[in-house]
Amino acid sequence: MSAGHDPGEGGVQADRYRGFLFNPADLSEDVDIDPGRRREILYIFASMDGWTHWQVLGIPWNASVEQARDAYREKAKLFHPDRYPGQRLGSFRGRLERIFRRLTEARDILGDEDARAAYARRTAPPEEVARAAARQIENDDRARERRARMARNNPIASRVARVRELVDRGRQAMKEERFADAARDLLTASAMDPSATEARTLAEQARRKAAAGKARDLWEKARAAELQHDLDRAQMLAEAAAEAEPGEPRYGVYVARVALERGALATARLRAEAVVRSAPSLATAHEVLGEVLAIQGDHSGARRALERALELDEGLTGARERLRKLRWSFLR
Amino acid sequence: MNENEPFIGIDLGTTNSVVATVIDGVPRVIASRTGQTLTPSVVAVARNGKRLVGHMAKRQSITNAENTAYAAKRLIGRRWGSPEVEDARKVLPYELVPGPEGNDIRVMLGGRAFSIPEVSALVLAELKADAEAFFGRRVTKAVVTVPAYFNDGQRKATKDAGRIAGLDVVRIINEPTSAALAYGFGKQMEKKVVVFDLGGGTFDVSILDVGKSVYDVIAVGGDTYLGGEDFDRRVIDWLVFSFAQEHQAIDLRQDKMALQRLRDAAERAKIELSEGRQASIHLPFLASAVEGKAALHLDRQLSREKLEDLTQDLVDRTIAVADRTLRDAGVRTSQIGEVLLVGGMTRMPRVQQAVKNYFGREPSRGVHPEEVVALGAAIQAHALLHPQKGKEILLLDVTPQNLGIMVVGGYFATIIPRNTTVPTSQSHMFSTVQDDQTAVRIAVLQGASDKAMENELLGEFVLEGIRPARRGEVEIEVTFDISADGIVGVSARDSATGTRQSITVTATSGLTETEMRRILEENLDEMLTRRQVGDFERLRDRTQAVIAEIESLSPAVKEALSRSRFGKDAVQRAEEVVGRARTAIAAQDLQQMIAVEEQLDRALQLFKGLAGGTVPGEKGS
Repeated sequence: MSAGHDPGEGGVQADRYRGFLFNPADLSEDVDIDPGRRREILYIFASMDGWTHWQVLGIPWNASVEQARDAYREKAKLFHPDRYPGQRLGSFRGRLERIFRRLTEARDILGDEDARAAYARRTAPPEEVARAAARQIENDDRARERRARMARNNPIASRVARVRELVDRGRQAMKEERFADAARDLLTASAMDPSATEARTLAEQARRKAAAGKARDLWEKARAAELQHDLDRAQMLAEAAAEAEPGEPRYGVYVARVALERGALATARLRAEAVVRSAPSLATAHEVLGEVLAIQGDHSGARRALERALELDEGLTGARERLRKLRWSFLR
Repeated sequence: MNENEPFIGIDLGTTNSVVATVIDGVPRVIASRTGQTLTPSVVAVARNGKRLVGHMAKRQSITNAENTAYAAKRLIGRRWGSPEVEDARKVLPYELVPGPEGNDIRVMLGGRAFSIPEVSALVLAELKADAEAFFGRRVTKAVVTVPAYFNDGQRKATKDAGRIAGLDVVRIINEPTSAALAYGFGKQMEKKVVVFDLGGGTFDVSILDVGKSVYDVIAVGGDTYLGGEDFDRRVIDWLVFSFAQEHQAIDLRQDKMALQRLRDAAERAKIELSEGRQASIHLPFLASAVEGKAALHLDRQLSREKLEDLTQDLVDRTIAVADRTLRDAGVRTSQIGEVLLVGGMTRMPRVQQAVKNYFGREPSRGVHPEEVVALGAAIQAHALLHPQKGKEILLLDVTPQNLGIMVVGGYFATIIPRNTTVPTSQSHMFSTVQDDQTAVRIAVLQGASDKAMENELLGEFVLEGIRPARRGEVEIEVTFDISADGIVGVSARDSATGTRQSITVTATSGLTETEMRRILEENLDEMLTRRQVGDFERLRDRTQAVIAEIESLSPAVKEALSRSRFGKDAVQRAEEVVGRARTAIAAQDLQQMIAVEEQLDRALQLFKGLAGGTVPGEKGS
């Protein structure tokens, strides 16, 4: 802040104009202005072009519009030429007029809300800039938090956000081959937002993969039970596996085989026939059907089935052996 | 400067003018020599060639309509051919002609062309004379008010009028500002004040930020062609049309005397309706009927509702201007601490209601709407001439319209925007556009439009004697300044060499300097003859008194001398002197009267002595 705003008198005066050289001719000009005011006018006139508007009005940076207008009125009373009526002003008249114009210029900016705010930003001292920057960051964080809170509370915004979140999580689960989790999330997402086609196709994939995984799991458990000769349990697990992934016929074949092993011929035959119908090109399906029929005594049926199986897969040694036995009934 | 030199503040109105002063720190209105505070702004030239001003002029306006000028303020500073002037020519009973330069307007009164400043000067001189009668001495210093929305030309012309009237116009101030000053006088105000000034011919709105005895004007707005005269015209038109409907399309406006009677009646009815709800307009023998039938009378009732109906749009216009001005100032109605009503038209209840509705508050009363402006002018004159320690006031006014220049394409470039606090100045660089160009012509305008043609041309300035150089090499810095009076000045200098550039002003709407001088000289002659007439009258009265005294002493003197042998010739000489004085009075011969005065005095002394018993030559006997 410039010294020019210090209202001090007397002894302080010397300090106010320290480093400022007065022209003796100006101080001794024959005019009706007292020496104190004369120095003040000369000092302000020489310095004011380098001052900010705040300094000109003698108010602190970022002072209010009302403060600026008040300060202007005070200064105008001191420097308006009308306040020296009938007095000889000489060269000081021009200086007073210029000072008044400078005051008005400052008032025009600082006395207007918008202009004042813009000017305050432009003329902010460095520490104020740093403080403002810090405040800005804080404000940004707060704004982000507020947005999140609003999203949670707003039904529409929250639904959109939730769908996006579910899809993202489902995708991540698929990447990690947790297909069951993926399927659950993605199905939920597509239910919440039926227009999200991406979620729907992904959900279908995940569901299929999840089913495959589950079926495989069950099948492995069924195999373990079979090895422990717990055939009832194996049967149950195998059927669960087939049900979990109806598109996979091999589980059906396995179900038929376990049933055959248990001696549940009717079940075994129904299963085998169903698999043959649904997957006519699967060799093992025909093979198991052939075995069931052979045991039930339908030799021609068994022979047809086994021939078909070997047609599809020549490597089925069990089937070949069974067929040979059927052709040569004396070998039985 | 003389400490006790008298000063006045003058409200030079469209219909009425007022003069005021400050005595012992108290502002007061000066009544005219006939005792009225309002002087009609009317000037006339009577059939015998005598100039009449004020009430005298107004009284004879019906019988001498074409030689009676009123509402000159609506024409002052205007350009011949402008829409306002064309409009005025249609309705004014007196004749308007263009001035010798073709720019300004002249009024024909008694066969002589008067410029508008001269007409206004006659009103100012009348007020000056009233003030001189009041003070008993010469008065020259004055502050004169103008509508805030007056442009440079109108202000200059008003100042010229003051000069012609023999006044030193120390400042031109704005009427609303002046009103605020008078209102705030002696009060400690710290608030935003709106002055709503609807006068006889002009409308002004000013918004002031008042505090610490500083009257800081933030924004002004207005319409220099909206006032009581327009309200009157609505009533006149209504009367004329209804009369025409009744009586086979007789147009009363063709008859100047009838029109003048209608004008008076309309104004009176309008004023009556501020108090009453019904006014009757009765004008007998208004028009002579066709084909020798009986004369026609006008007899009508005007209700307050009908008047409000006729003038609703005018009231709406004032509110629209107020709204725009508030927006200019960036002030909301809720921030306003005081609304002042100024001007006679604000007595109309409908106007008061509209102001109340718009500002959402009761306007302040307790100021005399017709006198407050003159009082403020007196206060400002006092502050400018005899500042009082501790009672200083300061007026900070603004320029009402954008000041700018015409640029390529006929556009208007603003240099000093409206609502800038005055005094102010702004520089602008001009460069030559041709090689060796020696002159640049600059048209200076004032107004709100982007197009130069739609603004008021203040004048054309020619920069001459530019040093020859390649185009664009010479740059001339032209400085436009606006004084505290709101008057525009232009100066120029070559920015490279620093030499001052000469400027010639042409095409202004005001009086030229030579014309001004001629008018001032004429005025001086006129004043001298008037003073001689005055001297003659004074001397004549005195001479007659002396003669009467001599004659009354005459029997006693004769009686005394009959007992003496001396002094018979003294009576004879005295009779001779009285005879000569009588002849001089009859011949209105001032010189002769002055010559005989001394002898007459001596004769009186002698007679007094003789009648008292002392006979000359018998002393000591």
